[in-house]
Amino acid sequence: MTSHSQYGIAAATLVILALPFLLAGNRFLGFVLGMTLISLLWATGMNLLSGFVGLMPLMFAGIAGIAGYAMVYFTRTAGWSFWLAMPVASLLAAIIGVALGLPALRLKGFYFTLCSLVIQSVLTLAFIFFPKFTNGDTGINEIAPPDWFGGTALTGVRFDFALAVAAVAGILFSTWLTQTHLGKKFVAVREDDVLAESIGIDVVRTRITAFFIVSLYAGIGGCFYSAYVGFISPRAFDVLVSLNIWLFVTFGGRGTILGPIIGTAILAPIPFLLQDLQAFKDILSGTLIILVTLLMPGGIYGAWLKLLSRKRGREVQTTQVREQGV
Amino acid sequence: MSDSSLLIVLSTLSTGLIMGAIFSLVAAGVTIVYGCVWLPNASNGQFFLLAALVVWTFTLSFGWSSLAASLAVIVLGVLLAVVLELVLIRRLYNAPNRNVAYFVVTLGLTQILSGIFSLTYAKWSDQFSVPPVIEGITMLGPFPISNNRLLAMVVSLGVLGLLFALLRYHPYGRALRAVFQNREAAALRGVNVRAIYRLSFVLGSTIIFLGGILFAFAYSFDLSVAWTMSITAFAIMIVGGPGSVLGALVVGMTFGFTQAIVSIFASPTVAMFSYLGAMLIMLLFQPNGLFKR
Amino acid sequence: MKLLEVSGLSKSFGGVAALANVVGHSIEGETLGMIGPNGSGKTTFVNVVSGHVRADRGTLTFAGVNIARMRPHQLAEVGLCRTYQAVRVFSELSTRQNIENARLLLEDRGLGAAEVRELTEWLRLDRNLDKQAGSLTLFEQRRLELLMRLVLKPRLIMLDEPVGGLAVTEVNEMITLLQELKARCSLFVIEHTMRVIRELADRVMVLIAGEKVADGPPSEILQNQRVIDEYLGNAAHA
Repeated sequence: MTSHSQYGIAAATLVILALPFLLAGNRFLGFVLGMTLISLLWATGMNLLSGFVGLMPLMFAGIAGIAGYAMVYFTRTAGWSFWLAMPVASLLAAIIGVALGLPALRLKGFYFTLCSLVIQSVLTLAFIFFPKFTNGDTGINEIAPPDWFGGTALTGVRFDFALAVAAVAGILFSTWLTQTHLGKKFVAVREDDVLAESIGIDVVRTRITAFFIVSLYAGIGGCFYSAYVGFISPRAFDVLVSLNIWLFVTFGGRGTILGPIIGTAILAPIPFLLQDLQAFKDILSGTLIILVTLLMPGGIYGAWLKLLSRKRGREVQTTQVREQGV
Repeated sequence: MSDSSLLIVLSTLSTGLIMGAIFSLVAAGVTIVYGCVWLPNASNGQFFLLAALVVWTFTLSFGWSSLAASLAVIVLGVLLAVVLELVLIRRLYNAPNRNVAYFVVTLGLTQILSGIFSLTYAKWSDQFSVPPVIEGITMLGPFPISNNRLLAMVVSLGVLGLLFALLRYHPYGRALRAVFQNREAAALRGVNVRAIYRLSFVLGSTIIFLGGILFAFAYSFDLSVAWTMSITAFAIMIVGGPGSVLGALVVGMTFGFTQAIVSIFASPTVAMFSYLGAMLIMLLFQPNGLFKR
Repeated sequence: MKLLEVSGLSKSFGGVAALANVVGHSIEGETLGMIGPNGSGKTTFVNVVSGHVRADRGTLTFAGVNIARMRPHQLAEVGLCRTYQAVRVFSELSTRQNIENARLLLEDRGLGAAEVRELTEWLRLDRNLDKQAGSLTLFEQRRLELLMRLVLKPRLIMLDEPVGGLAVTEVNEMITLLQELKARCSLFVIEHTMRVIRELADRVMVLIAGEKVADGPPSEILQNQRVIDEYLGNAAHA
């Protein structure tokens, strides 16, 4: 890890923790911040798997939804505290996520993406058509915020700060992971799974482990989302959500720690700030997806790094090796 | 058999045939583009809807005849496909992991189109109905079928037949199949692969537009047909075999009948579940589908 | 001792036999070569032995262990690895990261840092450690491929067309490198240029249309009538 990125991550951490207090006066901006922080947690998680060469886990939102609905069930029907329901629901969602994803994880590239999309569609339909648990398309409202010490609830700025802490924890965990052997295996498998296997990495097991961890991120985010917004419906956890998180990661720069942070920071607040122009959000989103795919596969952070290395003269040769080797 | 059960059977049969024909047509369009260019068009449902909506505009708002409207939409569709190919599609011909990149790009396209529809058509109506091309009813025994729907079915099957003939006998069609099967070998034999890509993208997209036009004349619809058609088309393509027009026909007709039968007992969403399930099973066990390209 | 042992190995793709009853073996310390025209099944053979494709029939053992159903990562643990015809490295990662990835298999049981440094210098990659692997020249990438395999402490490396795409001077250098490599582990070189095989291999298997047609020292192969008729007569040889 370069010192450059270390400073970047440290700076980002401080900013994230400070923001809830800086925005304390304005509840609207505070809410936008909160939603951005949840997206950040999700993006950090999805980054472990994603990119074109990596996997595009379109079922991410569905897994978040399983946790979100489960958390509501545990707190409402079983009367548990949020702080017990959240880990249990997230774990449950992660296990189900791996079980559902397991057969798909054997598939390559586009087939995995398609399979993931199918599973997400099935989950969304399940959320709609099993109203006993989910109250169908109407959704569940008046979800209580998490309980806190002294019989109070976690609301307002304090909740925003809790989300900031969660996001930072997610970032730091992900940073730590990249230094471990497991993290390096994730990266190797993500970059070129055939090569990774040739040099002794158990690709299937690595993928499953990665998927489990990613699903945990999805689930924890899903629980926080439910408690924060106070209302969930199948729409909250559909394929567009997965696609958006993927966009945040890719736009910012997949495969790096700072990339998803940058991408989320820029893109996540937009739909909230553009309130009246909802449909424009779709058009903007779609356009960005296309632009990122065609022009900026490395995302903003990737382009920034390229610029830096060119200035420092590190790029000596750019032989077109690909054309020779095919 | 009693009259009412006969009616139900005939009704199911006719719906199955008509839906199946349209499904097959759209799926054929999707599968040609995937098989040839490795382009899984996630926005095929939006293309389908676009054609249907523009026909609606031309016939209802402009007062054009159905034939004129259809022709206009086809021409505009071809133009749109050509523009898309120029601006978007050709940039990724040599990309690694092309099929994922295209899938993502077309997902973006889906969102753009969906947003445009929300801003325009969604504000103008919830349900869209296009005046029929030909009036009248044909009696199939005791069961009346609107001539309009019959026309839709006949045209779909006709176009599919032409497509078969094209692929089998016409030099362009043979070049297309050569590229389907082995891009490098085809290039070595002197086939202009890029031109074939262009051709098949425009051809496939136009077929999808045609499907939308025919659907508009046969049924009234709302904006949700976009995503239901997308899922159905992909499911047909995967189950039938990516690149196989025969697979698109057989599986398309099957799904059409499935939809018709299921609609008797339950909402069409159940049929959706079954398409998703079939797609999932195919992906997991036999990703190459039932028919070869 | 015998390392790789293959018997009755057969593989068909949709009715076309890519491999038909191939029999052969490699001996530890000996460099085995394999030649054959394009489409003769060489690549299929490598893919089957290296676990990427499952054979329809036949036995496949390595140092006595049955490897027929093993996946590539398990083979790497047993000491068998391969390189790719179209060179394959983690292009978006740095050279250093590529090497680190290869060291993940053995962790502490692997080569020590000093040894890795030595190998890196020997393969002249020490100046490029922080460069993106995708920006290295083809020759540098091929050397990186070798380094990544050596770090696995293999007993046998299967090299699929190791000089493909290299300039003439680079080919010479690669041949020298490979000859020095023999001290560390056994090699199995798959090539379609006779010259490379002649300089490196102790023994050669000739594959034509999926069948093994000859098996012997290069000098013998060159005089084999069938080989001359079906292969050397009209194929390119450097």
